[in-house]
Amino acid sequence: MEILKYACPQSTDEAFRLIREEHGTAIGGAAWLRTNTKTIALGVDLAGLGLGYVREIGDHIEVGAMTTYRELETNPLLRARFGALFETTVSHVVGVQLRNIITVGGTVAGRYGFSDLNTTLCALGAQAVFYPDQIIDLAQFIERGAEAPFLLEKVLLPASAKGTYHQMRISENDFPIINTTAVWTGSEWRIAVGSRPAATRLCPKAMALLGADPHPSDDILASAARAAADELQFGSDIRASAEYRREILPVLVRRALMEVRG
Amino acid sequence: MNITLRINGKLESIECLPGEMLTEVLRRAGHFEVKKGCDTGNCGACTVLVDGKPVLSCSYLAVRAEGKEVTTIQGLADEAKKFAAFLTAEGADQCGFCAPGFALTVLAMKDEFSSIPDEAQIRHYLAGNLCRCSGYEGQIRAIKKYLEAQHAE
Repeated sequence: MEILKYACPQSTDEAFRLIREEHGTAIGGAAWLRTNTKTIALGVDLAGLGLGYVREIGDHIEVGAMTTYRELETNPLLRARFGALFETTVSHVVGVQLRNIITVGGTVAGRYGFSDLNTTLCALGAQAVFYPDQIIDLAQFIERGAEAPFLLEKVLLPASAKGTYHQMRISENDFPIINTTAVWTGSEWRIAVGSRPAATRLCPKAMALLGADPHPSDDILASAARAAADELQFGSDIRASAEYRREILPVLVRRALMEVRG
Repeated sequence: MNITLRINGKLESIECLPGEMLTEVLRRAGHFEVKKGCDTGNCGACTVLVDGKPVLSCSYLAVRAEGKEVTTIQGLADEAKKFAAFLTAEGADQCGFCAPGFALTVLAMKDEFSSIPDEAQIRHYLAGNLCRCSGYEGQIRAIKKYLEAQHAE
């Protein structure tokens, strides 16, 4: 990727102005720039905005857009509130060196189909906060995108939840063939599926089957897992066929649900 | 553009393009110990430390290194030589192309863990360093013995 002009604003106001008024392109982790052939007229680097943080505010946890995967993987607050969920979700992404570069914001804003993280964020019911004051359900943003150029400031997570992430890959450092995260929020079940290979989607029919029972039977878990595969669309690519993904998914969902239910 | 950064302790001012990655800029400045491998963020050969953290220089925007401390394998030569002795003893180093990035990741791991990591942790930490010669077994033995020796000192 070629960047013709570069700016590293020190305030979110200025970054937003450059994106909105001067048609700047926000630069998050920048890990994919090397393999992209696009030309950017104005690159707006978000590194100077202080958006790398994980903190508890009121009844939720805020994760800044420039927080790296490695920080998600090792953050004590996230581990205390979500167990190994974030570590398991991002630890398959190449190596520590790349995870020290890739950011939460870059992944969410890119709405990448292959993303591990977006699946977990959607399952947690995360919300995306766009500067200056727009809050959108993250699953909805992944599905529909944004109508105008935006600046993703942070992601809001619930204060805690019990969840697990399952995926299948051909090789460890590759993109997943299919992935899923199952979450018990304390009042409801949530299931998200990504790498279909299209972007992450929730599974409302499967979630409805599970209802508000924290200990559904094995039969109900199996039905929900099958429902998840039935309600989603799958595609074929170099890694797997749509049929293969459809067959594998219920196995992963059932395993994930059983793990969370205990 | 011009960026000023500290490379292996020495303050340097280097020209770079806005979209250029750190590998290119470091090599142009004569740091050929930073290897250009896959150049797509997969192999780990180009690993350097930025403010002490291991990153892939092929995927790290050079302008972001402004004001930072960049360490290549030359900056940790003494430590790397100690580790290399363990690699040699285990017959774990063959063509050597991956060695600079591999050694830097091992040294970063040593600093990050307060106790000796177990084999699963070592394999996980080094998952981003590919070696097409060794099959990894000798390297894992070398790392374990090196870390144990360091811990005993």
